[in-house]
Order: sequence, then C-alpha cells, then structure tokens
Amino acid sequence: MEQVKSLNNFISEVKGKSEFYENVVDTDTNIKVSDDSQVFHYRICKNVKNTLKVSLGKNSVYQLITLVLGDAEIGVDIDMKGENSSCKSDVVYVEGKNGKATISTFLQHNAKRTKSSQLIKGVAFEDGKADFLGRIYVPYNKKEIEASQQHRALLLSKNALVKAVPMLEIYSDDVKCAHGSAIGSLDQEQLYYMKTRGVDALEAHKILTYAFLNEVCEGILSDDLKNTWEILIQECLGQNV
Amino acid sequence: MSAFLEIKDLYVNAGEKEILKGLSLSINRGEIHVVVGPNGAGKSTLSNVLCGNELYKVISGNIDFNGENLLPISVEDRARRGIFLSFQSPVEISGISMSTFMKYALNSHRKFKGLEPLDAISFAKHLKIRAKALGISDEMLKRPVNVNCSGGEKKRLEIFQMAVLEPELCILDEMDSGMDVDAVKIASNGVNIMKDSKRSFLIISHNNDFLYEQIKPDYVHVLVNGKIVKTGSKDLLLDIKKSGFSQFQKEI
Ligand SMILES: Nc1ncnc2c1ncn2[C@@H]1O[C@H](COP(=O)(O)OP(=O)(O)OP(=O)(O)O)[C@@H](O)[C@H]1O
Ligand SMILES: [Mg+2]
Repeated sequence: MEQVKSLNNFISEVKGKSEFYENVVDTDTNIKVSDDSQVFHYRICKNVKNTLKVSLGKNSVYQLITLVLGDAEIGVDIDMKGENSSCKSDVVYVEGKNGKATISTFLQHNAKRTKSSQLIKGVAFEDGKADFLGRIYVPYNKKEIEASQQHRALLLSKNALVKAVPMLEIYSDDVKCAHGSAIGSLDQEQLYYMKTRGVDALEAHKILTYAFLNEVCEGILSDDLKNTWEILIQECLGQNV
Repeated sequence: MSAFLEIKDLYVNAGEKEILKGLSLSINRGEIHVVVGPNGAGKSTLSNVLCGNELYKVISGNIDFNGENLLPISVEDRARRGIFLSFQSPVEISGISMSTFMKYALNSHRKFKGLEPLDAISFAKHLKIRAKALGISDEMLKRPVNVNCSGGEKKRLEIFQMAVLEPELCILDEMDSGMDVDAVKIASNGVNIMKDSKRSFLIISHNNDFLYEQIKPDYVHVLVNGKIVKTGSKDLLLDIKKSGFSQFQKEI
C-alpha cells in the first residue's frame, strides 16, 4: 500500500489501494479516485482553512477521517460520480478556549448505487464552538442510494456551543437515508460506575470523553496513527474536562 | 469495638421518596451476609448508598467502615478503601475496553496504597489468571465495557472486576440473575475462593437455593419496607422459601 505522509497539493489521480496521511494547510486539496480504487485518507486540520474536493470513479471506495482542532474552517466535498462508489467521511472535533470549528460537508450521489456514511463526533468545552453543516444531495432518478449521517457532540461547559444542521436535498425516490444529531453531556451513570471501580472523577471524565471520540478514531487502520491522534486529542482536552 | 461495617438507624431518600427507614446492619471481617426481601424493599438502594451514589440522600443515621465515618467519603475513595459493588444492572461504556478500564481502576487502587502502577506484563498476568478462572475469553476483555454482552456475561464480568480489584467488602446485588447454571457455579466458586478471614460479603439474591447451597452465609437478613425486620442463620432461607415474606410484612 502506498503511503504518503503529507499531501498538500493538487493530486490528479489515485489508482489502486492507497493510504494518505495529511497535515492539512491552507491550500485546498483535490483528489480523483480512479475506477475500482480504494483510498484511505486521514487529515489533521489544526488552525486551518481548507476545502477538500474528491471525486469517485466506478466501484471505488473512499474512506476519510478528519480531525479538527482549534480555529478551523473545513470543507469536504465528495462527488460520487461513478456507479457503485462509496465513501465514508468521519470527523472528530475538539474545541476549547477560543476555538471554533466550522465544518461543512457536501456529499453528492451523482451515480446510481452509491453509498455514503458519516459519523461526526465532537467535544466542546470552555467557550469552544462548532458549527456543522451536513449537505447530502441525491439528484432525480438515481436508484439504490444509501446515505447515513450521524452527529454527536458533548458539551462540557455552559459557554460551549455546538450547532448542527443537516441539509438533505433528495430528489430521487429510491433512497435509504438516515440522519440524526444529538448534543448532550457525559452520562452520569457511566461516571458513577467508573468511580465505583476507584477511578477518580477527573480521570473518569477524561476517559469517557476520549471513549466518546474514540468510536471514530477506531476506524483508523494504522496503530501508530491512532496513537498520534490520541495524543493530539488528549493534549487538546488537557486539564479542561 | 465496632464491626467492620456498621450501619446504624439509616434513613435514605431518593428525591422525595423515603426508601430506607431506620436500617441497621453490622458485618464483621470474614463474614458472609445475605440480604433478602421483596421487590422494591430497598436492597439495591442499600448497595448504592454504601458506594456513595449521589442520587440517594442520607437523611439520618451513620455508616462506619473500618472504623471510619463513611458518609463524607467520595465514591472513588470508598472503592479504593475496599468497597466493591457488583451491580444488578451494569452500565455499558462504549469506546473503552474492559481490560483498559481495569488498568485504570487497578492502578488507581495501587496509587491509593502508595504502590507503583503494574507493568504491562504483570498486569496482563493479573487479568489472565482471573479471566481464566471465571471462564472469560480474551475477546470479552477486548470488547468495550459491557457492550454486546448478554445479561449473564455482564454479571460474570462484574465478578471478574471484583477478582481483579480484590476488595474487602464485596457487595453482590443479584449476581446470579440472568446467569445460566454453570455460570452461577463459576461465580459462586469465585466468591468461595475469594472468601478469607479479612474479606466480607454482602450478597443480595432472590434465589434461596443458590444462597443456601452455594453461598452458605453466616447470617441472613430480611429487608422489608426499608428496614431489616429479621436476622437469622442460613436456615432462615428455608423458612422464607416455604412461607415467603408476608410473615415479616405483618410484623411492621
Ligand atoms: N433513584 C431513585 N429515584 C426514585 N425512586 C427510587 C430510586 N431508586 C429506587 N427507587 C425506589 O425505591 C424503592 C426501592 O428500590 P430498590 O431498587 O432499592 O429495591 P430492591 O429491593 O433492590 O428491589 P428488587 O428486588 O426489585 O431489585 C423502589 O420503590 C424504587 O422504585
Ligand atoms: Mg434490586
């Protein structure tokens, strides 16, 4: 499998099976995934403004996981052009003091039998903010489409603010679409359970917060990268949760 | 000298509701006590109050544990002092595996005792021996805490956590419910192996045969309507099996 540590420029075309790690900068990124190809793409977006544009060829699979930290404005634009292509676009965001994430995703099912799934999970504490706009587009007459979008956020302080807006533009009648958003706080019963095992309150908060986000991070194939992300996330959570 | 656990005239509310109404109970080190009683009598409430659950408010009365007033002590510090509850309905926690959870829990117990965290190999060994004895697979320990576990598996994992943390007061709230015959045997063997002169058990169950034959308690208490109305030897279980709780309900 091809591995590219950093990919900051225009990428014309990707063939075969590849894995990309990207420390995202302000220059936009474009990827064209060829027919029958598979791409795993991991992006760390810290204090940047960036739009990613991806187009998918026939039978291709594209799996994207994005980590959003600090002040970031991120666009993800995936065009499922080829029949039978599928994508996963998951996001983790952590927003603390002075942080604001604006995340806009636009998933277009422009061919029949295309599938998309999105799991967006985030945490906001202190005066951290996040805006998520999730647009899904299915044109008229595209058959056998599946789309799912789930957003979950934890608000860990009174001044933290999270907004999620799903925008479904569905003009076909052969679509299975599920979406939902839930914003809440840590589960008191889980906290209690951990404390009855001797884990102290602060630690239990941290473990549960990370466990919440970990559902997305678990999708990362490489253990090294998983660890890198965990360190970055824990750093951001710091003493604040 | 007061007992290892000494509960005196305890009144406890949940919100406006009075649940425990003058409950007294004492347990010495090394003893196995059983609490039986009808649904809604307050058995699980008692277990949770001993752990310091903030949903329950102690209105009056005392709880001393190991010569210390337990009431001002936090949930986690009670656990680290050796109180363990095997829950009637354990919660699920996705995103953290049982083995990682136990690493945090065990190391925090060790820190409290002034010990270094266990190294990876010793920790793995500590878990493995106990998992094996309780018929718990590696795969189950890798699963997120209690997620995708059957009722019986959850109970088995509760006993496993108890074996890992080696508490001094083990409270088992309906550990046998939902378990198949073999699992109950394994769990009660676990209890019998852990029984020693320093460790005490408070066991709640609706299964009198299980208590009588496998647990063989030193004392049996009947909890009705928020208080202990009768205390006796294990033969009291036979009596209850025959005549139910109505005989005690009349006494109040
Ligand atoms: N958090 C709570 N808030 C309000 N009422 C509660 C709460 N917890 C328990 N109760 C009530 O207190 C009473 C005692 O409940 P508890 O769970 O202690 O009973 P139990 O003896 O364990 O019963 P069972 O044998 O069914 O497990 C019940 O009427 C229950 O509904
Ligand atoms: Mg109960």
